[in-house]
Amino acid sequence: MTAPATTPQTESKQPTLIDMLRNIITSQEGVLFIIMVIAVLFLATRTDKFLTVDNLLNQGRLLTEVGLVAVPMTFIIITGGIDLSVGSIFGLTAIVLGIAWQDMGMALPVAIVFAILVGTFAGFMNGWFIVKVGVPPLIMTLATLALYRGLAQGLSEGASVRGYPDWFYELGQGEFLGVPSQLWLLLIAVIIAGILLSRTTLGRTLYAIGNNEVAARFSGLQVNRYLLFIYTFSGFMSALAGYIFVSRVSTTRSDMGTGLELDVIAAVVLGGSSIFGGTGSIPGTIIGVVLIQLLKNGLSLTGVTGDATIVVIGSVLIFAILVNTFIQGRKAA
Amino acid sequence: MALQSTQPLKPMTRAWWHYVPLVLAGALIVFYVLLPFVTQPELGQTTIRVLTESRGNNELGLNTHGLVLIPLAALGAALFGLWNLLDPRVARAVSALTALGGLMIVTYYIIFAMDYSAEEATYISQMGPAFWSILVVGILMILQFFLPRPPSPHKYRLARLVGNQESIIALGLIFMLIAVGISNPRFLAERNISDVLQGHAYVAVAAIGMSMVIITGNIDISVGSLIGLLAVICGRLAVAGAPIWLAWLAPLLVGAAVGALIGFLVAYMRIPSIVVTLGMLSILKGILIIWTNGERVTDMPEGFFLAQMRPLGIPMPIWFMIVLTILAALWMRYSGLGRSLYAVGGNAEAARLSGISQKRVVLQVFIINGIFVGFASILYATQFAIIQVTPPPGLELTIISSSVVGGVSILGGTGTVIGSSLAAILLNTIRSAMVFINVSPFWLQAVQGVLILVTVLADLLRRRRQID
Repeated sequence: MTAPATTPQTESKQPTLIDMLRNIITSQEGVLFIIMVIAVLFLATRTDKFLTVDNLLNQGRLLTEVGLVAVPMTFIIITGGIDLSVGSIFGLTAIVLGIAWQDMGMALPVAIVFAILVGTFAGFMNGWFIVKVGVPPLIMTLATLALYRGLAQGLSEGASVRGYPDWFYELGQGEFLGVPSQLWLLLIAVIIAGILLSRTTLGRTLYAIGNNEVAARFSGLQVNRYLLFIYTFSGFMSALAGYIFVSRVSTTRSDMGTGLELDVIAAVVLGGSSIFGGTGSIPGTIIGVVLIQLLKNGLSLTGVTGDATIVVIGSVLIFAILVNTFIQGRKAA
Repeated sequence: MALQSTQPLKPMTRAWWHYVPLVLAGALIVFYVLLPFVTQPELGQTTIRVLTESRGNNELGLNTHGLVLIPLAALGAALFGLWNLLDPRVARAVSALTALGGLMIVTYYIIFAMDYSAEEATYISQMGPAFWSILVVGILMILQFFLPRPPSPHKYRLARLVGNQESIIALGLIFMLIAVGISNPRFLAERNISDVLQGHAYVAVAAIGMSMVIITGNIDISVGSLIGLLAVICGRLAVAGAPIWLAWLAPLLVGAAVGALIGFLVAYMRIPSIVVTLGMLSILKGILIIWTNGERVTDMPEGFFLAQMRPLGIPMPIWFMIVLTILAALWMRYSGLGRSLYAVGGNAEAARLSGISQKRVVLQVFIINGIFVGFASILYATQFAIIQVTPPPGLELTIISSSVVGGVSILGGTGTVIGSSLAAILLNTIRSAMVFINVSPFWLQAVQGVLILVTVLADLLRRRRQID
């Protein structure tokens, strides 16, 4: 990582190594990374089952769905928007997949493509209403949070679909080169998204929209087109994550992904994206996703009961933001 | 015309037809009381109860499904009639609304005729003339709409008077009562109407606080967890032998404290409310699970069940909903702090320049929200003999939906709590109606989503038209 462009260039002397180091450490990602290292070290001293390759790879498998959805969510939050409907798109995709295969008689590969298309279209609908009609993202996706979940429940009438052929489970339960298959997908998605965000016009435009949407429009940026794209992309990634989830847990139910939006938003915000827009990065988001998963896993291994770990996660979320606000405030002053 | 509307206190003449709606409403009430099963004290039940119990429960064995429409219409017509006398300029609008009341009454007779069986024929004679007089009054209420009246000033047109979100929801509710009632009369049995109103009373109460929070441009997604936690605190205190007033007071205090914490983090630490309450959602839910171990609360002492009490024959949750809604609506309209909620949400910079401390208002609104959540959780805790540890899934979504459908705009600065309470009732009415018209309740959330969408689109359209 290079020093951010904010390093004062007007000073006569070159920034020293210590300056650069300080910049990295006090950046959003830096602070978070240090918190993560401390948490990992602490958890590792409490139980020897935590810091093993097997356990970590398995945690990688579990965090993939949240990670996949967190990527477009980072884009959206950078623009100052939000997408609350991801969990419902996730569930809708799962149900459509199951019903298309079992009740509508589609071949399974066709059903998978169809389901992902439906999810992508669901995201497109969000984007279309937000961009063309001007519905605030929070409200639009709140409405579709209820609508898409309702469709999933209505279509399935609460029934579940199971009994998929063996090859279907490859992606969710199999391994490739010793690493869980879906983790490769996440890796590819993260690398592409990271490059998109930091090295392309798309990325710069998203930051511009988040900082000042009106100014971005007056600068001749295709704001509408980019916004439509990221919400559609969010639908696509949620659908993909839904498919992977079905493949991992071997069954389809309409309540799948309930509350996913909260996990994803928590991870993205923890990763340093401001809900007001304009800041955030893919590395930060990934640290957020990993930190939450490791905390959940490490705490349950050290004997904290499953659901109680969410107290820690909630506290870490608020605490990390407080610390970051404090440090960034000091830096700005 | 513009001149006319700027003279509010100009003495107005009242023609005879100004009295028509009130007279008809009065006649309706008189005939209603004259119905034979109203005056049967030997049944030992309150009037309204006897009248509206379902078939077999009343002395005459008559089908009285939907009879509740008559007192509802009478009450509405009386209110509109009074309004008409206080401000004669609304005469045309009132005549239309009165006609709607007449329609409700005729609906009852349609339902009655459809569900009418031969065995009931013998009882009809016992109903007396009042039964048929009510039908006549109902028809008159519709006919009076066609009386010749001078056109009213533009400002008092029906479309202007009922064009706000609150009236639209109220009309939607009446429309649903009529439509679903015709397709399945049992929907209008008093017990069901009462269940519909009671069932979401705690949602409506929580939605009052939520509306205030949203009006200031914030949001609280932790209410579901908070209601669960406060309800358990309430129940456990009572079980542990604390005085019952303390058990009822504790949720209010704890709710206010949690609200103060959230408000402090939002206002003074400048963390966006969605993030703070997202964190609180996890923290509160986790605390609840650790503390209770998932065990529900039972064996509450006698006298604890506030929500099961029925002062004056009306269930306590309905009292809470109505009284708190009215108090909150008045407070928001007339008090300084109440007005400043709108100021902060509508234009923060202007509010700051006019000397309103935005931070303090936000802190206060979250504390008030916590208190309303406290009220909601008392109602939630005392409604059944057991308190479930996990509140209904998606409770916060239902509460936020009530506010949004009720016309509270996330863009900040507009909306009233009357709208949000009506919307909470509407959502529960829809849920109940789906059962009665044989639609799978699995579609409920989809309907809810469409409703939010329609409301917001209508709101945007209205705003755009105002700008043009």
